[in-house]
Amino acid sequence: MAMTTSQRARISKIVQAIIFVAVITTLVIVADWPKIRTSFFAFEKLGPMFPDLLLVGLKNTIFYTVISFAFGLSLGLVLALMKMASFAPYRWLATGFIEFFRGVPAILVLLAFGFGVPAAFPEAKWPFAVTVMLSLGLVAAAYIAETLRAGLQAVPRGQTEAARSLGMPAWRAMVTIVIPQAFKIVLPPLTNEMILLTKDSSLAFILGMTAAQYEMTKFGREGITSLGAGITPLIVAGALYLVITIPLSLITRRFENSSARTKR
Amino acid sequence: MSKIEKNPVFQAAGATISDLRKSYGNNEVLKGISLEVKPGEVVCLIGPSGSGKSTLLRCVNLLEKPNGGTIHVGGFEATDPEVDLDRMRQNVGMVFQQFNLFPHLTVLQNCTVAQLKVLKRSSSEAKKIAAENLERVGLGDFGARYPDQLSGGQQQRVAIARALSMNPTLMLFDEPTSALDPETVGEVLAIMKTLAKAGMTMLVVTHEMAFAKEVADRVVFMDGGVVVEEGPAAEVIGNPQQPRTQDFLRRVLDPTHVDI
Repeated sequence: MAMTTSQRARISKIVQAIIFVAVITTLVIVADWPKIRTSFFAFEKLGPMFPDLLLVGLKNTIFYTVISFAFGLSLGLVLALMKMASFAPYRWLATGFIEFFRGVPAILVLLAFGFGVPAAFPEAKWPFAVTVMLSLGLVAAAYIAETLRAGLQAVPRGQTEAARSLGMPAWRAMVTIVIPQAFKIVLPPLTNEMILLTKDSSLAFILGMTAAQYEMTKFGREGITSLGAGITPLIVAGALYLVITIPLSLITRRFENSSARTKR
Repeated sequence: MSKIEKNPVFQAAGATISDLRKSYGNNEVLKGISLEVKPGEVVCLIGPSGSGKSTLLRCVNLLEKPNGGTIHVGGFEATDPEVDLDRMRQNVGMVFQQFNLFPHLTVLQNCTVAQLKVLKRSSSEAKKIAAENLERVGLGDFGARYPDQLSGGQQQRVAIARALSMNPTLMLFDEPTSALDPETVGEVLAIMKTLAKAGMTMLVVTHEMAFAKEVADRVVFMDGGVVVEEGPAAEVIGNPQQPRTQDFLRRVLDPTHVDI
């Protein structure tokens, strides 16, 4: 006799559950638990990583992220406005920039700034953090520009018309009326961009760093070779990334809820 | 003249439009419109949709750029490429069909933001003027609310108060009641009537024939981008001379009457 749809769905769920339990059980039986314990969770050997992992690593990760994001956001806003400009060469320039920096790997941009610029301009000397900020910020700006443009264009045209009708110049209408509304629209994708940047800051190692410039991933890598705790240092560093990124998501969600009224 | 008694309290300016032309691509929407609005006068623009009335209104404060002709508004030549449009628009209030209140600002802030940022009034003065105008539209207690906490009619009244807070000498209304629920239309029309009584110069695009008949000094019937007929409200609406006007009014005033 033919089964009904709900019967079929129930049998399918039972089968899925059996497969899931079987896979987990197999893994648990096959795994080398003592080995896992010593190479993943050897927290007792991590003493030497502290407090520098927090005071230097966490601090630098946040520092690199924040300066890159600030630079990327400022440049991204300029690019977004250029992309919406009536003067065509502005649009071409912005489009070219965005396509280029969105298309090349961040690590290449870092290398170009870290090694290419000093080769081309031997006299130019700037701090390590500036190199990180410029490279990661340029890439972030390309993404942020598209996000901001979409946000600005999502604000209804009538808002600009109302503002202009009240005698506001175009820039004032943009600053006072359009941007505050666009900001709330783009907050979630901007948070996303900041989370990506937090992780991308780990690429800074490619430039070669002094101990004071280490960020968390570099600390983890160093820990692997020096502490004999397997990849436990990486587990801890990974957890610290979550300590940064999860609150970011939570704050954004909270902010979104509290400003829900401004969505029309 | 309209039937309502006027007791001017507003400083009023007029507008003169001559041979105004506007095209979108090959589609000529305004085909040489000439129109005068005298200071303190209320002129209603009526006509079928697509006749160009809203475009005409939006040209007056240059939200749409005309292709030809001239517009003079309250001492400014709007069509002069050198004109300070922002200065000119400070004197021309605009009320939109979709209200276009700023959703991220409170009702009071909606009415003060341009006073502060454009006219550079002090915060206390701006608040005082905003409060007066909110009072005028019957929403004196609503200053702390946000636009989405108001009904459509209330939002449109705030939009009127916002425009009035700039002390305009002329007000443009672009189908101000078309987006409203039927039961809130009256409250907006009532406010507009008090403005007319107070001597505000008003150019109103509307489908509310009863309002036009009662409040307008003159009614202008447009169709196909030209002025077909204009004159005192009672004559154009009560006794139209042109067949196109007669046909339009018959359909508007008696929607169930259809020639098939």
